[in-house]
Amino acid sequence: MNIQRWQSFSRRNPYLFSLLLLVIIVFVNLFFQHNIFERETLNSNMRIFLPLIILAAGQAVVILGGGIDISVGSIVSIVNVILATQVGLEGDSQKMYLIMALALLVSMLAGALNGFFVAFMRLQPIITTYATSFLYAGLALFILPNPGGGIPQSFSNFYRDTTPLGLPLAFIFIAIILLAWGLFQKTRYGRYLFAVGGKAEAAYETAVPVSAVQFSTYVIAGLMAGISGIAITMLVASGNAGTGDQLTLSSITAVVIGGTTLSGGIGGVAGAIIGAVILGLVKNIISFANIDTWWQTLVNAAIIVVALAAPGVINLFRRRR
Amino acid sequence: MSLSLSARNVVKRYAGVVALSDANLDVNAGEVVALIGANGSGKSTLSKIINGVVVLDRGQLLLNGQPVNFSSPQAAKNLGISTVFQDLSLVPHMTVAENVWLAREPLQWGGIVDQKQIREKTDALLGLFAGTYKDSLRPEVTVASLPSDEKQIVEILKAVSFEPQLLILDEATASLDSRQVERLFEMVVRWKQDGKAIIFVSHRMEEIFRIADRYYVLRNGKTVGSGEMKQVKTKDIVALMVGDESAESVVERKKSVRQNSLSQKIQLEVTDLSTDGLRGVNLSLHAGELLGIGGLKGQGQRTLLHTLFGALDHTGEVKFDGALVRFKSPRQAMNKGVALVPGERAKEGLLFIRSILENLLLPSWGDYGFPTRIQKAQHSAAEVSTSLSLKMAGLNEPVSGLSGGNAQKVVIGKWLLRKPRLLLLDDPTKGVDVGTKAEFYRLLAKLCADGVSVLFYSSDDEELLGLCDRVLVMHDGLIRTELAGESLTKSNLVAASLGASQESMQ
Amino acid sequence: MKRITISPPVAAVLLAIILFILSGLLPNGFGNNLDIARGQALNIIRLSVFLGVIAAGQTLVIISGSEGIDLSVGAVVTLSAIVTYVMVNGQDGHILPALAAAILVGAVIGLVNGIGVAFLQISPLVMTLGMSGVVTGLILVVQHGNVSGAVSPIMTKVIARPLIFGIPGAIIIWIVFAGLMWLLMERTAFGKNLFAIGTNRITARLSGVNVTGMVLATYMLAGALSGLGGFLVLGNTGVVFINIGNPFLFPSIAAVAVGGTLLSGGKGSYFGTMAGALVLTLLTSLLTTMQMPDSVRRMVLGATLLVLISIYGRQHSLRQ
Repeated sequence: MNIQRWQSFSRRNPYLFSLLLLVIIVFVNLFFQHNIFERETLNSNMRIFLPLIILAAGQAVVILGGGIDISVGSIVSIVNVILATQVGLEGDSQKMYLIMALALLVSMLAGALNGFFVAFMRLQPIITTYATSFLYAGLALFILPNPGGGIPQSFSNFYRDTTPLGLPLAFIFIAIILLAWGLFQKTRYGRYLFAVGGKAEAAYETAVPVSAVQFSTYVIAGLMAGISGIAITMLVASGNAGTGDQLTLSSITAVVIGGTTLSGGIGGVAGAIIGAVILGLVKNIISFANIDTWWQTLVNAAIIVVALAAPGVINLFRRRR
Repeated sequence: MSLSLSARNVVKRYAGVVALSDANLDVNAGEVVALIGANGSGKSTLSKIINGVVVLDRGQLLLNGQPVNFSSPQAAKNLGISTVFQDLSLVPHMTVAENVWLAREPLQWGGIVDQKQIREKTDALLGLFAGTYKDSLRPEVTVASLPSDEKQIVEILKAVSFEPQLLILDEATASLDSRQVERLFEMVVRWKQDGKAIIFVSHRMEEIFRIADRYYVLRNGKTVGSGEMKQVKTKDIVALMVGDESAESVVERKKSVRQNSLSQKIQLEVTDLSTDGLRGVNLSLHAGELLGIGGLKGQGQRTLLHTLFGALDHTGEVKFDGALVRFKSPRQAMNKGVALVPGERAKEGLLFIRSILENLLLPSWGDYGFPTRIQKAQHSAAEVSTSLSLKMAGLNEPVSGLSGGNAQKVVIGKWLLRKPRLLLLDDPTKGVDVGTKAEFYRLLAKLCADGVSVLFYSSDDEELLGLCDRVLVMHDGLIRTELAGESLTKSNLVAASLGASQESMQ
Repeated sequence: MKRITISPPVAAVLLAIILFILSGLLPNGFGNNLDIARGQALNIIRLSVFLGVIAAGQTLVIISGSEGIDLSVGAVVTLSAIVTYVMVNGQDGHILPALAAAILVGAVIGLVNGIGVAFLQISPLVMTLGMSGVVTGLILVVQHGNVSGAVSPIMTKVIARPLIFGIPGAIIIWIVFAGLMWLLMERTAFGKNLFAIGTNRITARLSGVNVTGMVLATYMLAGALSGLGGFLVLGNTGVVFINIGNPFLFPSIAAVAVGGTLLSGGKGSYFGTMAGALVLTLLTSLLTTMQMPDSVRRMVLGATLLVLISIYGRQHSLRQ
């Protein structure tokens, strides 16, 4: 296969590499964790993966539109500390719903601030969202300087035990995201997104509202970070201003492993979900593979870097021939 | 609704470079107006101002006699102005249908794009060009996978699908073959009868005379002439495009360069050079020879020069100075005494925000020791800029403040500092004023006299005819024709550019 | 028409002076006691040295353009500090090998960053963030919960204490270092080519610059400078801990931005970064003096950077 055919092939099937990787990882995981497909294990695994899945889906939208959002992790932290401090363990569930809605509003506002600076002030996405990430992380730390707080028991129970149709709750979420993405892609706005990320000048010349589209991607990423923050709070049932710190890199990695190019315009949300699941499974494998605790971080990070480098290595190899 | 649009005294500058100084144009419903000018004369800028992509600095646009101010391309589209862009406004990874209907997708229930309708409407549009393209052009293939002529067709269909009142065709025929051009012209005639206004931007005289009713000629950003096509001849328009002075300077140079260089040794010999866009090029270049390369734009001239400079991978043999060489990077080529003046000055030739000094010395810093002997570097830079009579405020001023001609002198100057033995020139006089052109011709003469070999691509036929003893005409990645001596005439050059073979001309 | 313009490095120095005077006016500031003022000024400059050296590598990477950024500096500083701590182990004689090792460790990590960016075309952000994870993993492996070691007397003396005329050794080191950085950026082919690739990589390549090699060298050098930074930071603190380097990551980028270096590459200076390091150190110390919690400090830093890039960092508008 020559370079062009390979490129067009991999472009038409952006999820191919990630699907292949998913299958391999599932098999390896099966080797270490035999009961992976049993309901309980599946449920507990997917429960842990879900926050990143949601976050990566939002990140994918921003990256498809030609941007990047380094602040999503900090937005997760804000939502986490809001939920954990405003209701409390004994809190009333009505109030919890209200605070959840408020948290989502805050996350969208945070996204809107990012979008304003990137789309309308025309600042570089990387450095802008890096700056706002500090703003948001500081805010989270301001709300909750020391880890603690909690949410009503019923909410963490709900997140742990709900298995509609005997399936993990996460599957329902994934189905909703995929359905929403499927519809979204087919709307005019979905076309705009790919056009803006693919070639902003051409989109502009064709009278696509480029700035508005860019702005909206950050709001969507903010909202998804908010939902992710709610999920992770229900999972851990407590607050910590550093909750989201590690999630930003993972969300970007998930998107890249999922076949979306960082330059924008190629890829999709489904790949990001696959990527997030892969990252979760890798962590699983490491913890079940009897790797010395001190080595786990290194192995995990090394696998991520290798996965990021893989497409580049393949290209380099193909170019040489 | 019939429409008339006028541009009055339009001025536009980019980062200090004047693109338009005084552009004027009128177009009315039911006529085709040709906008003519050499490369860099401001044709594209003027059309981008009319369709709202570029903001004018001064001057006025009048629509049906009323001043208008387009705040965006959207505003211009809403008033019925649509454009076929020279550099295509297509998103490479989207399909043909998605590209054509971008931002105006027919929707069905719930805001979902109606894929079926999009496809049918695209198919219907493609019918306009039926029979002139390959079967692979279908609504659902991605634009990136199409050859350039079919991309151009998609771009045209996209502009047409807006059902505009004013259609701007900016070099729309440049990459079309003759059948496709024919089809386009049939459509233009029909649109004209339907009362649409059309601006036809081109530098192909024959096409302009066939299709246009009136003409405007731009030279260095200024409208220098206009009138009815019927009352004018090709040479009148060419005279307007070129101005009077340059013809003179070409002639003057003609006497000074033409020495019999062919007796000298062969400096560069290329056998079967192939790469993406080049299909087996053979040529030989003597020491001290000024060898021209001609042909329509984008026939592989740029690729050839870049390949010889080691910037592109290739197959085939290159012999330089009698030894087989294989440059893997521009750096290797540079170290052997090869230099390239690239075609896109701002993108490929200059460090725009850096100083003139740094631009001049960019390839040579390594020769000034450690720590860099900055005084010596300044001295060399001053010397070369004096010899080129570079007009500048100082060596430490950014290169972005220079005019086109002076900026090009910097690009050439950086190579002169290295005393190259082979100079590759990619359309070096594009957007350069007449005075500088004349200086530049004298410089080339001097370099050749000193034994430097020059491979000189120019989009300006007059330049090739005036300067070169031998011209190789490229077409579709091949050298189709070699013109020298008696056969080196304007008509042969034009015929060869259009792809006629050597035999058919004799 | 000629407008009076202040270059960003000068503006940053002015800002630093204003902040310093402000800090003197605080209730617990130096007031009108010049001796205390001098002591505080020296201390602020001394504290800026560490950020200043660490931000030197960041300056080079950002100038190299193409969204160049090094997010692994925090982890590299920590790792090289740990390496130094273990190798020196309280012995003055081990300082030079430890210094070499610290720089080498940084250079190797920088080289890996460079390979990812230059050859594998991974975006610098993702590559260096990923490597930051790898280095953090390495630290855990090396450290295994606790490390035994110690700084040596000379290190503390030279870096943390006054050396001559009451001027701390760190400041003298910084002055020499700044001279070398100036030499590197303004008086070597490397420096000139660095600005060239930051401005326009196509032009640079077509002018015979080895762009890939330059990118590789830049990231490697940045890693090495972070390694040196780790060595100096350890000399100041005297003890090593697992997060010793992390607080430098964000300020290293902010210092470059404050100093007026173009975040899109191709323009900037180390003097600007030095002024930026001063401003940020002062800002932090001011907020600390005002007893602001960590959260407010972060927000102020984030907002400062946001304001600065709004002033310097606008991209071209789509409409020309």
